[in-house]
Order: sequence, then structure tokens, then C-alpha cells
Amino acid sequence: MGSEPIKNELAAEGRSLWQDGLRRLRRRRLAVVCFVVVVIYFGLAGFVYLAEFMDWRVGPVNWSQEVGKQYQPPSRDNIFGTDIFGQSVWRKTLYGAKISITVALCASFISVFIGVPLGAIAGYFRGFVDEIIVWVYSTLSSVPYILLILAFAVVLRDKSLFGHKLTGITSVYLAIGLTSWVGICRLIRGEVMKHKEREYVLAAKSYGCGAGRIIFRHLIPNVFHIVIIDFSLRFVDFIHAEVILSFLGLGEATRPSWGAMINDARIELSRGVWWQMLAATLAIFFISLALNIFGDALRDCLDPKLKTEQG
Amino acid sequence: MDSNGVLLSVENLSTHFSTEDGLAKAVEDVSFAVEKGKTFALVGESGCGKSVTALSIMRLIPDPPGKIVSGRIMLGGRDLLGLSQKRMRAVRGNRIAMIFQEPMTSLNPVFTVGNQIVETIKLHQRKSSEQAWADAVEMLKQVGIGDAERRVYEYPHQMSGGMRQRVMIAMAVSCQPELIIADEPTTALDVTIQAQILDLLDELQRQNGMSILLITHDLGVVAERADDVAVMYASRIAETADAKSLFESPLHPYTQGLLKSVPQLGFEGERLPTIPGVVPDPLAFPTGCKFHPRCAIGCDDKRCQAVEPELREVRSGRDVACWYAPGYESRQEREEYESKYKR
Amino acid sequence: MNQSTNDNNGVLLGVEELKTYFPVKRGLLQRTVGYIRAVDGVSFSIRKGQTLGLVGESGCGKTTAARTIIRLIPATSGKVTFDGIDVLGVGKKQLQSLRRRITTVFQDPYSSLNPRMTVGDIVGEPLRVHKRLSRDQVVGQVSEVLEKVGLSPGHVNRYPHEFSGGQRQRIGVARALVLRPELVICDEPVSALDVSIQSQILNLLKDLQDDFGLTYLFIAHDLAVVEFFCDVIAVMYLGKIVERADADELYHNPLHPYTRALMSVIPKVSAGRRGQRTATGGEVPSALKPPGGCPFHPRCPLAEDICRGKMPPFERKGEQGEHFVACWKC
Repeated sequence: MGSEPIKNELAAEGRSLWQDGLRRLRRRRLAVVCFVVVVIYFGLAGFVYLAEFMDWRVGPVNWSQEVGKQYQPPSRDNIFGTDIFGQSVWRKTLYGAKISITVALCASFISVFIGVPLGAIAGYFRGFVDEIIVWVYSTLSSVPYILLILAFAVVLRDKSLFGHKLTGITSVYLAIGLTSWVGICRLIRGEVMKHKEREYVLAAKSYGCGAGRIIFRHLIPNVFHIVIIDFSLRFVDFIHAEVILSFLGLGEATRPSWGAMINDARIELSRGVWWQMLAATLAIFFISLALNIFGDALRDCLDPKLKTEQG
Repeated sequence: MDSNGVLLSVENLSTHFSTEDGLAKAVEDVSFAVEKGKTFALVGESGCGKSVTALSIMRLIPDPPGKIVSGRIMLGGRDLLGLSQKRMRAVRGNRIAMIFQEPMTSLNPVFTVGNQIVETIKLHQRKSSEQAWADAVEMLKQVGIGDAERRVYEYPHQMSGGMRQRVMIAMAVSCQPELIIADEPTTALDVTIQAQILDLLDELQRQNGMSILLITHDLGVVAERADDVAVMYASRIAETADAKSLFESPLHPYTQGLLKSVPQLGFEGERLPTIPGVVPDPLAFPTGCKFHPRCAIGCDDKRCQAVEPELREVRSGRDVACWYAPGYESRQEREEYESKYKR
Repeated sequence: MNQSTNDNNGVLLGVEELKTYFPVKRGLLQRTVGYIRAVDGVSFSIRKGQTLGLVGESGCGKTTAARTIIRLIPATSGKVTFDGIDVLGVGKKQLQSLRRRITTVFQDPYSSLNPRMTVGDIVGEPLRVHKRLSRDQVVGQVSEVLEKVGLSPGHVNRYPHEFSGGQRQRIGVARALVLRPELVICDEPVSALDVSIQSQILNLLKDLQDDFGLTYLFIAHDLAVVEFFCDVIAVMYLGKIVERADADELYHNPLHPYTRALMSVIPKVSAGRRGQRTATGGEVPSALKPPGGCPFHPRCPLAEDICRGKMPPFERKGEQGEHFVACWKC
């Protein structure tokens, strides 16, 4: 029998599930606003990198240099006042975006690169391989998070990786990344276990696809939306982790970061200096809120099962 | 209006869904009547709107995105669409009960079957727990589940598909409803079990005098069990008739094509007759008669392409929606049309 | 049976006493307490160009048998011969080449296609797995086979969810044919489709059989479909074949009580209600504890003591033709 007409005759290009999800996402105004906020933060971080690279002098060379009157409260010159060195808190906050975003981004990538393949392998092969991987991550996740990061950070400090000396901040995000892959690994493992019983996987096996092809060509694309959703929600955790590490004295010493600012604020508060704490907290608050809302919206829009159906 | 033994009368029912891709008019101007004590079948393929019709009668359409936009549903003289939520809840399960296709997902897996039947009983009748449980056991016996005293404590997953469907039927019948809406009650079951379940429904119908609205795509089931039939296509009713007449002399081209294309034992041909094309997408219905792109007559006819034929009574008890169905137009009307357009 | 290739009276697929048991484990130590005998000694053969139908209700083992034959499920015992090759015994490399020659059309058009791949990728992937073809060659072959199944090659960049159920099934058929296989296993290919589309797909499969010179193993639960489509029909119940005959012969002369029950309960699309019905009371028993003797005896109207005690042998009945039944009462 001849071909039958289908909808959308005009377009020759198909409409993938990703495009569907993006379309739905674009309609949610709050999500779009949050996305813009996230982009602004990233843009800020990117700008700082660019400025450093191009040597644009947007900030002082030495942040610990006395440049002015210390602890000035917010005024017209300095929206958030000054710190102990008289540096503008506002400028420090903007600069701090670079650290936080970098830490969170790197940690996210590391945990995805470790967690997704391990989860996929565990979920697909089951049996002995699965047991080992599950044992590893169960053990890892049984140790209190902070201790684990501390341990990694301390060990990695002053070591070299591929010829690079690990500075304070590098060890921080390595530590966070190496300990945070458990969550995504579990999620991926669960989803892969569900998906590998689907008929399209069976079909792939029936015409000769090997395990590698099935995992990377068939399973991972179908569970990847989980990674994206998890990424956006975990980002917040990583930003918070950087704060905590700064608290514990591990972190970037020479450049301003929100964690360091909050750490300093501990003492400052007793002296009635509240503006540095407020600035850093507000900075963290807004990106966290934006990512949380955006992450939820992503989940609603990208999960193929949540597509509205008619009766 | 209880005269003529009509129990449920659906009049010009329309239900629409707002989706992100547009407005889907799932049910459009549907009218039919179920008589007391009889079985009425609503038959059609997937997407034709039969399930939505059933859910509309029960007012179980999720709003948003769905909405019953017009029509009346008369049960014993009262328009169900005008009832308050509270009153409607008193109707559901009590006067009209529904059986669904997938007994595994329509039964709650964390409660025993006894619990679920008792819940239905206690919702609508003033009975003590003891009485309700005794009733539940009795119901299980009535639907043919052996060893009912023990099985009443079982969970859905411990039972086979056929048994679960019997439990659903027990729940539905427990409050002696006047009408049972059975939405594809046997589609998920094996053919030998299917026959048992349909026999059971027949038996219960005889005992209790209740009407059955049978929603199905299986023409064989319709031929064997229904008294009256309405064939739905793309949100509308194509044809209504008593079962015998429908199968003996179908009037709508869709019905004719459908009947011919079902594989039957003893078919001698090399190829099966088919209806070309696909069922249209509710978001992109064709203009005019919705069946015209697939119809041997309608695909070339300007009127079929442009104007939707309404459902008209061509003989007593037979309604059709097709310009070229015998008896649809008087000779005069036909000549008028032809002289205007066919020159 | 003759072992050399191309000389088996044209038998392409031979199955001998195939058994697939699934162990049931209970308890803390996961000890095996029993077996689900999904496939319990199934034997049949299909000649080149023929269509054999495996029909039965859910749980009878027909799908499990098909998947065991192509080693998607490990067999417990038995022998499968394809073109003289011992399918269950060969190593990975040979198995891979067999996967080019035996392909499958699956039941559910909604889950048998990867929703994240385009039609072109889905139909082309078998080519990429097995052959080293250039991109253009792949595109060419994909277009060719899409046309053969009634779809337009312009659809290659679309995704499965943009098509109707019947069209998706055509995509599945295209995928199964792109490697030009010799044997195609059709696992309930029309069960999930609308009535008016079923006949389209069945006609398509028939046409393609002539075009491509295919041999079919057709699995279904609808006896009417099987009777139309197949040359030979094997009726399965609880893991065993209870009757096997040419389609015509089976229709006119069904011997086994289960076959007769199946035929009588199929609702007929014709005026007039409720013909005589062969009683089939009871439920399909569990495959974990099948009844002793003949598996059908608890539901059989003709059951006698011998049926309860001993398993009837699968014997030839009737003078001419190949009509086999496993029943003491036939």
C-alpha cells in the first residue's frame, strides 16, 4: 500500500525529543528568567577569566593590599562597603563568581565522567561487575561527605597531576568531583536497568549490536536527560561545598571567593561588620535559587514520560 | 425521561483537550442512547474518542487539559453534566460503575482485593464492616472466583489477569448499578479468558437487569455480545444500528471497510481487504467528512471534502453520517446537489 | 537429520526438543526451588520460503521459543539448525553472521524503536554493525528498503514519535529487512495495531515475502490471523506444541481439544450472536507447577485418567499431509 501522509509534511527535518523539551521549556517564563540569571553568573566568571588573560586590570593584583579605609559600611562609592583591606566588597563578590563557577563546573564534569560510565556499566552488566561498583560507591558514600573531601583535598594538595602543580583550588574541585559521583552513578544505574529491558534494546541485540554499542548508542542517550537535570541541581551543592571548604581553610587563598568572604565574615560580624557576609550570601542565594527552579523545570520538560497525553 | 426504556441518553456531547500543540477535539457532537437491560457497544479504533466519551459520561476528564464543552448526559431524567461534584460522586460507583482495560493498574497493588471491594461498598451504602466484608465474599463468588473466603485476602499481583478483571467486575457490581461502562474489558486478556469474562457480564446483566456500555475495538466481541452499536471515527459517530443490522448491512463506508478487513477464520483470499491511509491526528483533522481521505467515494467528492455530514436517522433505529449512505438524502436533495456541483 | 548445508529437503530452520527453563530461587541463600518451564520440548521445521505460525495464548512460551532460537535467551537444552549450522553451539563470530541472516520484527511499535534515533539511523544501524559501507551506500540502501515498506525516503530525518503505530511498524519491518535476511521472525507484529492497519501490515509482509524470498516464523495469539498468513500452524500450550498441521487442514479438521476451544471462542464478525461454545473453564495454570500428564487436562472436557497420568506423544494423525497431535483422545 502506498505511503500515508503524516503531520508536518512541510518540514523534512524531524523534531527530536530534545527539541520538544526545549520548546516546552521556552514557554515557562520563570524558567527562562532563571536561565538568564545563570547565564549572567557564568558570563561574569567568563569575563573575569578573559580579563585576567588579557590583563585588563579590572581588579587589584594583590587583594591583600591595603588600599583604603577598612570596614567602610555600604555607601554611594561602595555599594557593599569595604573589607579589612579597604577593597570593595562589591568587586570581590563579582570576582568571586569565577571561583565558585569554576569549582562547581569542574566538579560536575568530573563526577559525570566517572559516575555515568560506571553507572551504565553496572546497570547493564549486573552480576559481579555491578556488585563491585555498588560496593565501591556504597563505601564511599558511607563516609561523611566533609571528611571525605577534606581527606582528598589535603592529600592532593601540593601534589602534581600530569605535570601541573595542584594549587589549592584545583585540589578542591578534584576532591569534590571525586567524591560526588555517587549520586549520578546511582541514578544512571537505575535508569539503565529499566531501559535495557526495552524492546529497542532487544532489537539491537537481535541484529548483532555488541554491549558497547548498546550502552553508548542506545542506553546513554535515553538516560542522558537525567544527567542534565542532576547537573543543574547538583551545581548548587558544589557551590555550597566550596563555601564549606573555604571555611575549613582549604581553598583559594589569593583570590576572593564567596566562601572566603563568609569565612572572614565570621570574625567581622562580632565587630558589627555585616556587609561582606550579606554580599556573599546574596550572591550564593540567587544562583542557588535560579538553578533550583531551572532544574525543576528541566525535569518537567525533559522527561519523556511527563508529556501530557490526551484521553 | 425514562420512557422507551432508555436509561442513559448522550446528547451532542463534545469534549476538547488543550494541548501544547493545539486544541484536540477528541469528541465532537456525539449522541446515542443506551436502553435498560441492554448492551450498547461503542466501537472504533484507537484515537476515535470512545474512551474519552466514556470518561466524559463519568465526568472523569482531567480539567485541565480536558473540558466537556457542550452536550447533555441524561440519566433517569437528570443531566449528569449539571450535577455538583458531590452529587456526581454519589452517582459514580453507585448508579454507574466503570471497568477498565488494565486490571493490574486499576487495582491498587497495596490493598487486598477484599479491602478494595469493601471500600466501594462502604462509600455508597450504610453497612457495617462485617456486613461489607460478607458482601465482598459474596460478590467474589458471584463473579466466579472459587475459594472466595480465602481469596478475599489476596493482593492483586497474586492473581491472574482474568481473575483481576473479575475482581474489578465484582467491585463494579457491588452496589447494583444501573449501568456498567466497560472500557475494553477483555483486550488485555487471552481469548479463552475473554469468553469467560464476557459470559460473566452477560450473566450478571440477566440477573440484575443492568445495562452495559461496552467500549471496544474488537468487532467480533461486538457482533456476539452487543444489542446496539455505534461506530465511532475521528471524534464522531459514523453509524448507529442494532448489532444484527450493522453486520448484515453496514451503511457507512468506514464500517464496511472495517468489517471486511478483520481477518476471519476461513478467509480464502491471498490478500486482506484494507482501508488505505491512517487514522487522522486529532490535532489535524481533515476538512469535511473526516473519513473522506480514505474513502473510495469521498476522496474525490467535493462535498465530502468540504462539508461534514451530520448524523441522520435513515431508517428506524439506524443513524448514519455519510452523504452517500442509502436513504441519507431524498432523491430531490441529491438531484439538487448534483445539478449545482457536478456540472 | 541431514547436516550438510543446502541439502535438507529445503529445510531452512530446524528445531529439536528445545527447552528453556528459568530457575526460581527462594530464600536467603537463593536456592533453586523449581523451574519455570517456559519452553518444554518444542520441535518443528520450516522449509525455505514457507511460513510457520506459532500460535497460543499468553504464557504458552511462543515468544520465549523464538528468542531462544536466536540466542537472545539461553537455551536449557535442545538443538536449533539453520541452514545446516548448529545455532546453539556456534561461537561468537559465527553467531554474529547469523544475526545478519535471521532478523526479527517486534511486537510493540512504540517501544521497539529507539525514540532518540532518527528513522534513517534506526534502519541503517544493522548495516553499520555488519558491513563497512560508505555513508552514501548506507543512505541508498535505507532509502530503498523504506520505499519497499511503503514509506517515503524523505522521512529519514524524522523521529519515531512523529509517526503513527502502523508506520512505526513499517519502520520496524524495514529495519528487519535492510540486511536482506533469509529468515524473519515476526513476533506478534500486528497485535498492537488497530484493526484497519493490521490488514495493511499483513498484506505488506506477504508482498515482501515474495519480493525478498523470505521465510517466516510468525508468532501470534490470533488464530484467524495465523490461519490467513501461514502455511503451517503449530499450536502451543504451556510450553509444548499440542498440534501442528497445514493451515487449511487445521482449520477444517482441528483435532486437539485446545485448538478446538481456541477456534470456538474467537468472536466472529458476523450477524447473529453466540454460537455453540466449547467450554474452557478454569485459568491457564502456572508454568511453575504444570499439571502432570497432559498439560491441558484440567481444562479439557474430554479428560480421562490416562490424560492425568501420562504425557501424550506427539503423533502423526490422518493419512496424508503433516498433521500431528499430542492427545490421548484424538
